[in-house]
Amino acid sequence: MFLSSAEAIERLVPEGTGFLAVGGMHMHNNPMELVRELVRRRRGVRRLLTSPSASLAADLLIGAGLVDEVATAYIGFEHLGLAPAYRRAAESGAVTVLELCEAAIVHGLYAGAGGLPFTALPPGLELSDVSTANPEHFHTITDPFTGERVLVAAPLRPDVALIHALAADERGNVFFAGAHFTDRLMAMAAKTVIVQVERMAKAGEIAAQRADGVLPGFLVTAVVVAPRGCLPTASHRAYGYDEPALRSYLKLSRTEDGFAEYLQINGMAAAGVTA
Amino acid sequence: MSVTVEYSTGELMAAVMARQLRPGEVAIMGAVSALPQAACRLAQLTTAPGLWFIAGGSGAVNPHLEPLVASSCDERLLDADAVMTLPDVILVEGRGDLIDVFFAGGLQIDIRGNCNLGPVGSWSHPTLRGPGGVGLPFVARAGRVVIYSMSHDRRTFVEHVDFVSGPGFPAGPGGLPGGGPSLMVTPLCTMDFDPGTHLARLATLHPGVTLEQVLEATGFAPILPVKLETTPAPTPEELSILRRLDSAGLLRRGASR
Repeated sequence: MFLSSAEAIERLVPEGTGFLAVGGMHMHNNPMELVRELVRRRRGVRRLLTSPSASLAADLLIGAGLVDEVATAYIGFEHLGLAPAYRRAAESGAVTVLELCEAAIVHGLYAGAGGLPFTALPPGLELSDVSTANPEHFHTITDPFTGERVLVAAPLRPDVALIHALAADERGNVFFAGAHFTDRLMAMAAKTVIVQVERMAKAGEIAAQRADGVLPGFLVTAVVVAPRGCLPTASHRAYGYDEPALRSYLKLSRTEDGFAEYLQINGMAAAGVTA
Repeated sequence: MSVTVEYSTGELMAAVMARQLRPGEVAIMGAVSALPQAACRLAQLTTAPGLWFIAGGSGAVNPHLEPLVASSCDERLLDADAVMTLPDVILVEGRGDLIDVFFAGGLQIDIRGNCNLGPVGSWSHPTLRGPGGVGLPFVARAGRVVIYSMSHDRRTFVEHVDFVSGPGFPAGPGGLPGGGPSLMVTPLCTMDFDPGTHLARLATLHPGVTLEQVLEATGFAPILPVKLETTPAPTPEELSILRRLDSAGLLRRGASR
């Protein structure tokens, strides 16, 4: 249950993992310690699913060449700028983009979590090019109740989800603090769940949380305790994002050489890793 | 005699957007939304008491914005009247009868109010890979859509977007389930949509901006109104509220007017 980040990635995210989901929204609650471990070990995944708005975690994995296809609705840094590695990889064709929208992600995860074969989307969503661009993920069928045409999307059932929570108890029950975005839903839809936490929970702390802020231990495969492990992204109710560090990433990552330098400086160079 | 108060383009745009909102309405906005958030809070404190607004991915309902923050998921937004989980926000966005005003934007925005935050150029090998549209497909269901952009140039305002993230008025048959785009607010002007053709129509020029300047910076030919008005400047009361909220000066970056 309790593993180091190295052990968790080594055991639970084998090379060639088909479908990996990574939580956090924008520059908040990215499980960066787990992501850095994936980069150190150069663990490639066939498909990466992001939350409705991804940031550093996705950009780093894509920039390191570890993602064949990314299913996403946004990868960027809001007011700080576009995602440099994602831009480069998508523009060159090095990564395939499965363009989704927040509805396809959230309803797809509900379908994954609930064992639904697919999910129907609200009328009007077929008017964007998101569904047109991805005919393998979206279909139009006849609504058996009304006879109207209806847009449906594939379920999202990740093999592994990496998410962040504030704290865990001995049995792997975890709780979130502040906004927890789509992380809890992502965990409920995934087969294997690794949760990065800031600290151990105090006695009685989890029982005192509201139901929608807790993920029970039977849905958690492994917990990695990594204090300040979301940096340079924020961890709600623990610390804010490190804007100078994010800006320094954005500056270096404008070129492939700069990106490699960032990995070197931040202990993610490929050489010297032992399992 | 009028008193001249300097204000920034961001402050002018926030004041313009605030005046679009009515008491009791529900507004929603996405990433990089400090500007519409400021507009909503300003409206609550002036002309639209009882307005509701949902601030991006944070799920915050009526964040107090003390202070206004740059990221739409900042935990300081949770200092709010109420907070929803993000899956709940995305769920009820689908209802179509709840959201009166959707604030949208794009790397490309076209004459029918289509917004593109995805690929610019080819879909498979874009010349500029935008971040992605997040929830923009939902604009099709909103009561009305207010489009804002901090850039007004020919790369942004184009005849046709290369990819529709947020649908504007359709060119062909069939309509939108929602009310469609109602106003575009840029650093130079405001544009509404001609009710007959559903094409963008210049509405007001910001103080000091000329018609030639707007036409030069716009990649389509907007319909020209019978009478072109000047956008009313922010009042001293509006500016005083905005500056109290925006202690970090997020709306004051860039040119003053």
